[in-house]
Amino acid sequence: MHRLLDVLASGVHDAKNQLFAAESMVAAVEAAHGVDLGEARYAIEAAAGRLSRTLTAYRLLRHGAALAVVPAVVGDLLAEVRLAQDKHLARNGIDLEVNCTVADEWPLDRDLIGDVLNNAVQNAGRHARRRVRLGADIAGAELVFTVEDDGPGFADPATTSRGGGAGLLIAERLAALHTRHGRPGRLTLGNGGDLGGARFELRLP
Amino acid sequence: MSAYANKRFLVIDDQPLAREALRTIAQNVGAFAVEFASNYQDAIYRIRNNAPDIILCDYVLGEGRSGQQLLEELRRFNLLSDDTIFMMVTGEQAYEQVVSAVELVPDDYIIKPFSPDKLLLRLDRIVAKKKFFAGYYQEKRKQDYAAALALLAAGRDSEAGRPYRYEILRQEAEVHLAAGDATAAEAAYRNILDNYEFPWARAGVARALHHQNKLTEARAEIDRVVASTPHYFDASDLKANICMAQGDNEEAQRVLDEVAKKTPRNYQRKRLLAQAATLNGDTATATAMMADVVANDTMPGAVSPDDQLTLARSQVNGNDLIAAEKVLLGLRESTVQNFSLAQQASYSALLALACPEKGKARFAGLRPALLATPLPGEIRLDVLRAALAAGDLELADGQARELMAGEEAKKVFSTVRKLYALHGRDADLREIQRQVALLRIHHDEPGAAPG
Repeated sequence: MHRLLDVLASGVHDAKNQLFAAESMVAAVEAAHGVDLGEARYAIEAAAGRLSRTLTAYRLLRHGAALAVVPAVVGDLLAEVRLAQDKHLARNGIDLEVNCTVADEWPLDRDLIGDVLNNAVQNAGRHARRRVRLGADIAGAELVFTVEDDGPGFADPATTSRGGGAGLLIAERLAALHTRHGRPGRLTLGNGGDLGGARFELRLP
Repeated sequence: MSAYANKRFLVIDDQPLAREALRTIAQNVGAFAVEFASNYQDAIYRIRNNAPDIILCDYVLGEGRSGQQLLEELRRFNLLSDDTIFMMVTGEQAYEQVVSAVELVPDDYIIKPFSPDKLLLRLDRIVAKKKFFAGYYQEKRKQDYAAALALLAAGRDSEAGRPYRYEILRQEAEVHLAAGDATAAEAAYRNILDNYEFPWARAGVARALHHQNKLTEARAEIDRVVASTPHYFDASDLKANICMAQGDNEEAQRVLDEVAKKTPRNYQRKRLLAQAATLNGDTATATAMMADVVANDTMPGAVSPDDQLTLARSQVNGNDLIAAEKVLLGLRESTVQNFSLAQQASYSALLALACPEKGKARFAGLRPALLATPLPGEIRLDVLRAALAAGDLELADGQARELMAGEEAKKVFSTVRKLYALHGRDADLREIQRQVALLRIHHDEPGAAPG
């Protein structure tokens, strides 16, 4: 089983290197000709993200995956999600608001949580009418990430029937793996947030 | 964009395609000067000769080397200034596992693919962080630890320090340890653990306990870290050091043997393994490791006279006296003349053992100094061995007494016992132990192991 994981990881690694080469070439063309090819770069990064997510899903579901927890500045994490998503959303007429009330660091798996938030914002963007809101707050002893939209909401939140599939599965496992002083994190999906549509809530202890 | 126009970038990657991509991205954030290094040696050469401002280093460097090892080597030889930015670049999340465990981390790491904008965001943050800690770094470099701690305390309570709270706590612990206050360091690491179970903080507790000579507790803590994070190789080094201090040289060697196989080009670890093997009586391994170090640690200035002495020591232990003599006499005369007393002691003792007619006179000439001067444990072992061989019982017993009374007693006990047994003097060693025990009026943790 570990051999298979190694083969998959190495394949994903090589593919991402090639995608990186492609992205750098696109960036070079943008600089040389003063054009905006942001959507091409977005597509490249989305493909890389999808590859990573597939590998992560395999690791989390088939193996006793360990997290790599580092102290991460919560505001910085949200700024990176905004950087990755807001231009693409704007092209589709959707406004991404980011609302972070947390100034401190929080121990979390920076890249996997970042990936989960990117995925949640992408999902919200597909169903939103005009607005998506990404937020981070502290409630009690927990860090709470929220992604809300003004779309029609989940038909049935219990079955995550909006087709977020692998992404939501990862989010759920990841939340449970983030334990602190014996308490696990958790993922809640629902409807009727401030924007009236779907609400994704990830709580980390 | 132009904040980085005047900065010199160094891109380190063994893959030409990836190097080119990194250069393009660097140019997109405004970099004008971007240099390449295609391998480990080349990178060290360039950094040593003309230090860049910003290093973008791939984690996988080929030839059994990693970016993490390069970073460790650069810090060890003090080749990175406080202002230099070291950013690890990685294709998958495996490096995250490393960076979340270890104590020595880069300024940041970034996962490919990434846009110029993301790199810019990350670089800006590093610059801001370095600015926040600049005053502190200066005091730490001057070894003014009180001033350094005062700056950290002020930073911790400030609004600007909020994003850096863990880093401040980590730095506090390190400064306490550097200043020799292991109790305060332990408290600082435990403070971090109260927040989150970081492997590096748990290892910090073990290190601080080791410094306090609380070996059983230190061992329990480091065993936990090694068991839960097998890819955290420094923790294995620390465990080996603790095991040696406990006299458990067999476990020390076993642990190091295991990680040394995974890090075949890490010569610091091979030095440590040679030390453990020597104490464990495995002279063949010790000799092989030191021969590898002396032949292959190509970092300029990395192979020191101490390495040559260690190699000769393991050869003497293995009774390969001709090889030892060759190594010792191969040292330059100017090097030998500049030796510290401890190095002279080892050199003359080992030469007296390897080739009595060439070394005896030099060893005898040092005798008054050897009787009177405090020396590190392994040096005393060299002197002890040579003195026993020369029949100088007063000098030998003096060294044994100091060793048995010192902090390294457990570490060296089995070696001392074997040497005395070899010369049919077991009873004399027991008498020395008895005297030492009588002299020790009160001590929390008795140094001498039972006979």
